[in-house]
Amino acid sequence: MSDITAQSEFEDAFHQAAERHERVWVFIAMLLLSLLLIGTLFFVVLDYGVVVKTDGYQTNPAAAATTAPFAGTALVRTGPNAYSVHMLAHMWAWTPSPLHVPQGAAITFYVTSADVLHGFQVPGTTINVTAVPGIIGSVTYTFEHAGTYNIICNEYCGIGHQNMIGRIIVDPERRL
Amino acid sequence: MSTIFERGLALPTVKIAASERRMMLSFLVWGFLALMMGAAIGPLQALNYGGINAYPYLRPLLQTYYQGLTIHGVLNAYIFTFFVGCGLLVYLPARELGLSPNMTLWRLCFGMMAAGTLMLLYAMFDNSSSVLWTFYPPLKGSPFFYLGMALVVFGSLLPLPIVLDLRARWKARRPCELTPLVTYMSTATMLMWLLAAGGAGTELIVQLIPWALGLTNTVDPMIGRTLFWWTGHPIVYFWLMPAYISWYALLPKQAGGKLVSDPMARLTFALLLVFSLPVGSHHQYVDPGISPIWKGILAALTLSVALPSLITAFTLGLSLEYAGRLRGGRGWIGWFTALPWRDPSVAAQVLAMLTFIFGGAGGIVLGSWQLDNIIHNTTWIPGHFHITVGTATAMTFMGVAFWMIPHLTGRQLPSRRLALASVWLWFVGMSLFSLGMHWSGLLGVPRRAWVSQLPHSTYERVYGSAHLPLTLVAIGGIILWLATIAFYIVFVGSLLGRRLSAPVPIPFAQTFGGRESYAIGADKPSGGEPASITPHPHLSPLAKMLEHLGVLTLITAVATLAAYIPILWPLVTNMTAAHGWKVW
Repeated sequence: MSDITAQSEFEDAFHQAAERHERVWVFIAMLLLSLLLIGTLFFVVLDYGVVVKTDGYQTNPAAAATTAPFAGTALVRTGPNAYSVHMLAHMWAWTPSPLHVPQGAAITFYVTSADVLHGFQVPGTTINVTAVPGIIGSVTYTFEHAGTYNIICNEYCGIGHQNMIGRIIVDPERRL
Repeated sequence: MSTIFERGLALPTVKIAASERRMMLSFLVWGFLALMMGAAIGPLQALNYGGINAYPYLRPLLQTYYQGLTIHGVLNAYIFTFFVGCGLLVYLPARELGLSPNMTLWRLCFGMMAAGTLMLLYAMFDNSSSVLWTFYPPLKGSPFFYLGMALVVFGSLLPLPIVLDLRARWKARRPCELTPLVTYMSTATMLMWLLAAGGAGTELIVQLIPWALGLTNTVDPMIGRTLFWWTGHPIVYFWLMPAYISWYALLPKQAGGKLVSDPMARLTFALLLVFSLPVGSHHQYVDPGISPIWKGILAALTLSVALPSLITAFTLGLSLEYAGRLRGGRGWIGWFTALPWRDPSVAAQVLAMLTFIFGGAGGIVLGSWQLDNIIHNTTWIPGHFHITVGTATAMTFMGVAFWMIPHLTGRQLPSRRLALASVWLWFVGMSLFSLGMHWSGLLGVPRRAWVSQLPHSTYERVYGSAHLPLTLVAIGGIILWLATIAFYIVFVGSLLGRRLSAPVPIPFAQTFGGRESYAIGADKPSGGEPASITPHPHLSPLAKMLEHLGVLTLITAVATLAAYIPILWPLVTNMTAAHGWKVW
């Protein structure tokens, strides 16, 4: 009998403590999530270049392979230290690749696909864009270090998916 | 008053109960058979990342890594979880309320999903539909794949009318009372799933089935992808919420304690119902065609959906602490070690919860927009969902099977030790696998890539820096094979094992604060089912407010439309006509 009384006293005490701590925990959780949200949006705004923008739609995705601006594409100078390139994903390669870009310049990649979904990812950077047939997406990134980067397709696109590896060569800045 | 209750709530006859048990057992067995096939293939994919290409030796059964991956994903993520879930979400509320469910609908649910499964298996094993479990157009599988998928999706909605009918019958006899906890949670889960299924359901019926049948020539890939993720995010809660039901409503009892808060359990499910729906497009942070403004709103909503899981961590942690202290645990850690670890069902579920802490944390990383840029579609993603659905859900269902099969069949587990071994092996294997996957994802290794097929020099050049984590992935996979073998020896053994002398009851837990949980009257001498349900002495205002599930559903539906109309509008007004590709 005394065991049962002791247990129910323990339960009561535990219950009261639980209700108090529960409120504190919910408050902490909401605070934590709010701070995380502020943090992530701060970095999104700070590094807005790698946020994927929409740069146009095409009804016929296959046309991208044969018409401008994606056909016969190359790096184009768009400003004092800014360049752009139209990157076409198709089964199972990237065009243009290898791509030479200068170190320290803002490079805007316009990305689309001529066939199925692909993923334009450059490991070691924050570049990550889905290559969607019929939609052109863009990001801007500045390579601070010279060297060779891989372009890796990160969206399943058929039997040759794993072979879809391109290259970006960042040429060292020439100091004049 | 009590006489009214006893007349109104007469227990179903023994015969009906037996047919319910058989049906529940069918759902469990079918689901776990799917997991058996899926889990048998899984480690091949882990070996692939370790640089070992087993597929040339598996022809003609499996042609390619991508075919194996499609079978693995579809069977584990859809078939296993849907069957176990659609069983539990009907059986547990029915037993809690002491009412008999609408068996015709429940059988139809099973039949539709089983027919869908057979069609999917046919379409996947003949390598006509190696489109992976996300089946993004314009990759084009066979019509059997999409028709089978549609049957599975629409079949999985049928527990909703069943559980609504159970709840309505109970409430008609017990006016002014709150829905009992398990029934409440099951209803919230099914209402969430009804709204969630709208996306993939529309994609299948409007886009993919007519296209695969040749009635239309082209498809819009981005609309398909967006509709898929409308379902594809909340589906994770359709995997998780049945596991939460077990954690909240059953596990505290199995651990020897009580649930510390019934209103918090309800709040969690209500929040999951509301927040899980409008956030699906956070899987599309790196997609063009969706405005950055919407992505920012999605980031806020996505972090909100972490709140119910953080509440869950608190409430369940405290419930386990209570159980551990009652069992004599002392100090900061003592309550945890004092839990009944020798019970494989408890061990499975506590390890599942432990793993889910890391899964949830990884989810918050993925929801944080700028961090997602680094890991989107890398091996981090499968690393994440193998410790969420692949461990939190799968291991909880395994733990449930450990008591439920004896409960349903009256036969005992062949070996408690082997059951424990399977659980610990799964935990260790999945932890290693997942650690390796997260780590290699940070190094830029893409998910779902047949990297072992690459020439060795290319593999070394591109993924050489990820050697150590990719080796962990392969080792984890091999341990998971051992776990799977151990588990299925126990599983099959418990279907055929020795008869138990006493029936195994459903471990419905009591909650703090008197008789707040209704399902406790397990004082019936035989059968151990809840016999009489005690009336509620005190109604929590929060629980009372959350009782209006219809209103919550309406709010969620409006929020979902408010999120998706602006996202879909630019896509619908700039349609793409993409032709299908069969390229595997």
